[in-house]
Amino acid sequence: MRPADLTRTVAQRAIADGLVLLALAVWWWSSRHLPASVIPSPQAVLARLVAIATEPALGWHALVTTLRVMASVLLSLVLGLALALAAHARPWLDGIITDRILVVLSGMPSVGWAILAVIWFKVSEFTVIFVQVMILLPFALINFTEGLRNLDQEVIEMADSFSTRRTATLVHVIIPMLLPYGIAALRVSYGVCWKIALVSELFGAQSGLGYLMLQAQSVGDVVTVVATCLIIVLLFTLGEALIINPIARTLRKDIAQAEAG
Amino acid sequence: MSIVQAAPAQTVLRLRRENLWKKIATHGFTLGVLALWEITSWRIPAYLLPGPLDVAQSLAWLLGTPAGLVQVGASLLHVGLSMLLAFVAGAAVALTPYYVGWLRPAIDSRLTPFLNSFPGIGWTLLAIIWLGLGLSTVIFAVTVILLPFMIINIREGVRTVDQDLIEMTQSFGSNRRRDFFFIVLPTLFPFMFAAVRVSFGVSWKVALTAELFGGSRGLGYTMNIARQELETSQIYAVIALIVVIVFLSNRLLFDPLQRRLQVSSRKPA
Repeated sequence: MRPADLTRTVAQRAIADGLVLLALAVWWWSSRHLPASVIPSPQAVLARLVAIATEPALGWHALVTTLRVMASVLLSLVLGLALALAAHARPWLDGIITDRILVVLSGMPSVGWAILAVIWFKVSEFTVIFVQVMILLPFALINFTEGLRNLDQEVIEMADSFSTRRTATLVHVIIPMLLPYGIAALRVSYGVCWKIALVSELFGAQSGLGYLMLQAQSVGDVVTVVATCLIIVLLFTLGEALIINPIARTLRKDIAQAEAG
Repeated sequence: MSIVQAAPAQTVLRLRRENLWKKIATHGFTLGVLALWEITSWRIPAYLLPGPLDVAQSLAWLLGTPAGLVQVGASLLHVGLSMLLAFVAGAAVALTPYYVGWLRPAIDSRLTPFLNSFPGIGWTLLAIIWLGLGLSTVIFAVTVILLPFMIINIREGVRTVDQDLIEMTQSFGSNRRRDFFFIVLPTLFPFMFAAVRVSFGVSWKVALTAELFGGSRGLGYTMNIARQELETSQIYAVIALIVVIVFLSNRLLFDPLQRRLQVSSRKPA
């Protein structure tokens, strides 16, 4: 990079952060001129954020939501892969899975799942996980189906000719070839899951950030509503930087090495 | 296609037989699910699982009576207005870095990720606090939720604008206005289409959530009333209607258009 480019990049970064500070300043200024029940002050929201991060009673909700997100993403990936493989292996299942199950899953509104799940399963841990997995399933299914469609048939034929066991072909050839699509599915599911985590906890849970937020909203506690939203933004960003990106990088390195070796 | 034509008659027959089985299995599955649903609904109280006929009746109320159509129309209005607003605002935000280069990091790595990870239900609850229950709350919430979908798709198109072409037209004396209408805009069309396509499906779903909490009309409002009065068949009917709208709009409108444009849509993650 030339020095001039470097200077420009640094300057643009500084402008980006400057604008964030400006937005915070505008928020702070307007919170002073409007009632706290409309725009809470940034200081109050920050204090609540710190409280959620440090006080066990509040931090518990954030932890529960995070664990649910992780569990649902994993489950939906496994289920999505299983469904996609089933449709791929048995042609008569393909119509049922892509033209029926996928159509209903991808048209289903998330709040519809949330309400139905409470009617069916009452308030429980299973209800929340069920809602999240159902919402994420179409994303995983679409990505894995796409991957299976683009499989290199010649490689599979070659593998089949070397080994008679189909499970061996599946584990050593098909699954590795699906990895890039798996990474895409993981990324999309992770992003969507944080967005819908709150919805899934609104009706069906007695814990978690969604529960916390609805409680706060019903008593007009705007500070907590805003703080919960920001916690979601923070947790999403942190998880992406610390978990999702490293996983994607490691897997991609594996693929590159496998192709080179 | 060419493989099928070149294949020997036996393979064609086998493929045809496979296709027939697939059709039988798919429609059999549909009928099986409906039958199972009907039989299960006899043994389970109607507030847990209403039968298919009850749901069909609720659906007929939604689509066949003035009172029902008002709710459907309200949702249509919410979806249409929000999509229009989100499209205009999203296109403006996506094009800003193209014309104002120094704003790129601010928009690409601050504003867009923020909008993209801010929970939709958060916008809805905040809108209720700021604007009360009603039209403006629903429009605001749905618009802001759709914004990242619009920005991310259109931004993808802005990145593919051919700079060499712009340089050439400028050397021939073209100006920014002409370049915008004759080069930038045509490049963006497929991406704008992708943005609209992704947002349309999303908008029906998030409008439902926004109406449920903050609306005074619409399908989500209908669903909330049904939930409070334990009229479960109405909840099923609203959900079924949305699934059908999303499915039909894809099959009859977006798929044929997409085949013409051949650009894959991108979802924000």
